[in-house]
Amino acid sequence: MALLMAAAVVRATPVPDQPQATGTISGRVTLTTRMRGVPIATSAYAPRTVTRQGSPGAPEMRSVIVYLKDVTFQGTLSATPASIRQEQESFSPRVVAVTRGSTVDFPNFDPYFHNVFSLSRTATFDLGRYPSGQTRTRRFDRPGLVKVYCHIHSQMSATILVLDHPYFTTPGDDGSFTLAGVPPGEYTLVGWHERVGEQLSPVTVRAGSTTAAAISLPVNDAP
Amino acid sequence: MTLRRPHGPPRLLVKALAVSFGTVAVLLVLVFLGVRMSVRDQVRRTVTQNLDISQRMLGALEDRRRHELRLQAETLAENPTLKAALDTWAAERDAATADGERSPLLATLQHELDKLAARVESDAVALASLDGETLAVAGRLSGAWVADAADARLLKTNASPAEDSLIRAGGTLFRVIRVPLMLDDGAVIGWLDLGTALDDHYALMLDQMSRLRTAIADGGTLIATTLTPRQAADFQVALRSSPLTSEPIDLARSSHAFREIGGVATARIYALSSVDDAAAAAIARINAVLAMLAVGAVLLALAGSVWLARRLSQPIEQLSRALDEMAAARDLSTPLAITGSSREVDLLTTTFNHLMKSVSDAEARTEAAYAGAIRALAAALDARDPYTAGHSERVSVLAVAIGRVLRLPDEDLEVLRLGALLHDIGKIGIPDDVLRKPGPLTDAEFEAIMEHPVVGARILRSIPFLHPHIDIVELHHERPDGLGYPKGLRGDDIPILARVVHVADAYDAITSARAYRQGRSSADALRELWRCAGTEYHAEIVAALARALPRLEPVTTPASSAGPADVRRMPSAPEALSA
Repeated sequence: MALLMAAAVVRATPVPDQPQATGTISGRVTLTTRMRGVPIATSAYAPRTVTRQGSPGAPEMRSVIVYLKDVTFQGTLSATPASIRQEQESFSPRVVAVTRGSTVDFPNFDPYFHNVFSLSRTATFDLGRYPSGQTRTRRFDRPGLVKVYCHIHSQMSATILVLDHPYFTTPGDDGSFTLAGVPPGEYTLVGWHERVGEQLSPVTVRAGSTTAAAISLPVNDAP
Repeated sequence: MTLRRPHGPPRLLVKALAVSFGTVAVLLVLVFLGVRMSVRDQVRRTVTQNLDISQRMLGALEDRRRHELRLQAETLAENPTLKAALDTWAAERDAATADGERSPLLATLQHELDKLAARVESDAVALASLDGETLAVAGRLSGAWVADAADARLLKTNASPAEDSLIRAGGTLFRVIRVPLMLDDGAVIGWLDLGTALDDHYALMLDQMSRLRTAIADGGTLIATTLTPRQAADFQVALRSSPLTSEPIDLARSSHAFREIGGVATARIYALSSVDDAAAAAIARINAVLAMLAVGAVLLALAGSVWLARRLSQPIEQLSRALDEMAAARDLSTPLAITGSSREVDLLTTTFNHLMKSVSDAEARTEAAYAGAIRALAAALDARDPYTAGHSERVSVLAVAIGRVLRLPDEDLEVLRLGALLHDIGKIGIPDDVLRKPGPLTDAEFEAIMEHPVVGARILRSIPFLHPHIDIVELHHERPDGLGYPKGLRGDDIPILARVVHVADAYDAITSARAYRQGRSSADALRELWRCAGTEYHAEIVAALARALPRLEPVTTPASSAGPADVRRMPSAPEALSA
């Protein structure tokens, strides 16, 4: 499923609407530390009283988005609708990137109520609480970071990156990524992780050629 | 009687009371001191034991409270709004979208925290970002928290400590429970701090919970306490001066046992209990009991002393009374009765009886000696005139014999015997030539002779022991017809003993030889006596003499050899001389 979703995102990469020579950025994202699964001793007592469904266990790489920073896109931006499922008390995927004007579906696959809300200034909304099987949709018209939470299950969180251009992708599980159809020029390539933030890397794109790039997301100094 | 003297040594009862009361008082004082010491010791042990129990209880309670507070904190940390607002704030700051103005997210956080603080038992609830920045504070002492940049200190413990930490903020010491806010990817997005102020308020709460005085110290400095200011000052000194042991310490002159009931980092919480206060109540109860005991003991001692004194003084008084009676009766021979009240009194009585017996024996010997002396004197007097030698002795024997016939009591016979011996003692003052004069006496000489009973009585009066015999000596020349001398008594006015001696004297005089005549026979003498009976002699005495003579004849025959058969031949009595 996640793979399909990621494929959809990649496939949604915009086709240039003017016959202009473009280049490709291809590379690999390396995670230098395991972001998940580090147990945190919270207290001498039983750490949490809340029992949770097990996380879907998606690879950490799926929480990474590679995109070009501050690109002014000329032309019509096509929508890249996405879907964030609510299952096993988690948002899945946890991170999606969409173009401005796209919609995101929030289907509820759990047998209990869920809620979707955001306090982000980019898009402040509350889709209310809805039962299993229902889907609610939100359209994002402003670029920026949208953090989404469930008011019923406080640990659930997801991030939607609304971008003004189509030059973004999610690396494959092995970290490899390809950004095609990029106009030639100097860019800042961003490797973004929801906890680490942006990792910048300057790239130069030449028409007809593939630029290699490597992004290393650093060790988080938290725990 | 002698025991009732108003002055002099105190009575036996008073002494007994003094001794028993003194003993009771000393005993009570000793018991009081002993019990007081042992009670104080006991109370100290009890107080210490109670403190040990309180230490465990309070310690467990504190642990429990902290555990619950931590659980509470963890529950609060699950607040979705708090998490969403915090995470969004962090993300937007990361995305460099913040433009300097206060984010509505911070207002949301503050609002949420205010609500949480109202429901939690903490003095300050703070929300810190991962960077250690305090984003919002709420609660009773939030002011102090913010004032002293507590976050800077907390930054050093930017972790999720299992133990509570201790911070000082705005002059207040806080025990802090820190729990993380987490999302489901396992990421910590911030910290929720629940601060409990270790202040007077907290000390008071522990005090009310445990009913013990409490004190909180940080690094040897007293921060909060429910002790009085003076006790607190002393405790501060004790905290500073030496490492504290578990031994009781003196606070404001009152011994206090104390225990540590908890602590965080350098802060220590102590529970204190006054040994003296606890002992005072116990000692007050014991004083009441001892007072009752004292009253009981005094009453018992009183009763015992009175009884004992009675047991002792009654026989003594009895003895004393008996002695008084004995003295009054001049009776030394009757032994005192053994009372059997106590061995000592009986011993005293026996000893006294022995003493009395020896005294009366001595007296008897003295009397015997007197009698011997008197007899010797009488014999010496008699011997002045050869014709009257042995006269007094003979009169004495004769008089006793007459007395026996008359059935006189023994005492009278004794008086008679000695009195008769002495009857002519007054003749000691009569010159020899008058006494021995063979011829008729002149009037003056006769008067001198007639003086002898009075003289004899005068001599006897000076000897108390011879007083009973005065009558005999003085009145042995009285006659029933009143013609006797020296008083001229008549008939029955003359004591019977004097009458007897009169007759016996006359009989011996008649039967004795004189310088100028032969002694006459016994029969003559009787005849002569009978002739004058009723006038000169008492008839019944003469009759008694007549009956007594036959039994006495062999002994009483004087120097004359005349037997009774010659009595009728004998001439009549000599001249007026009848002595």
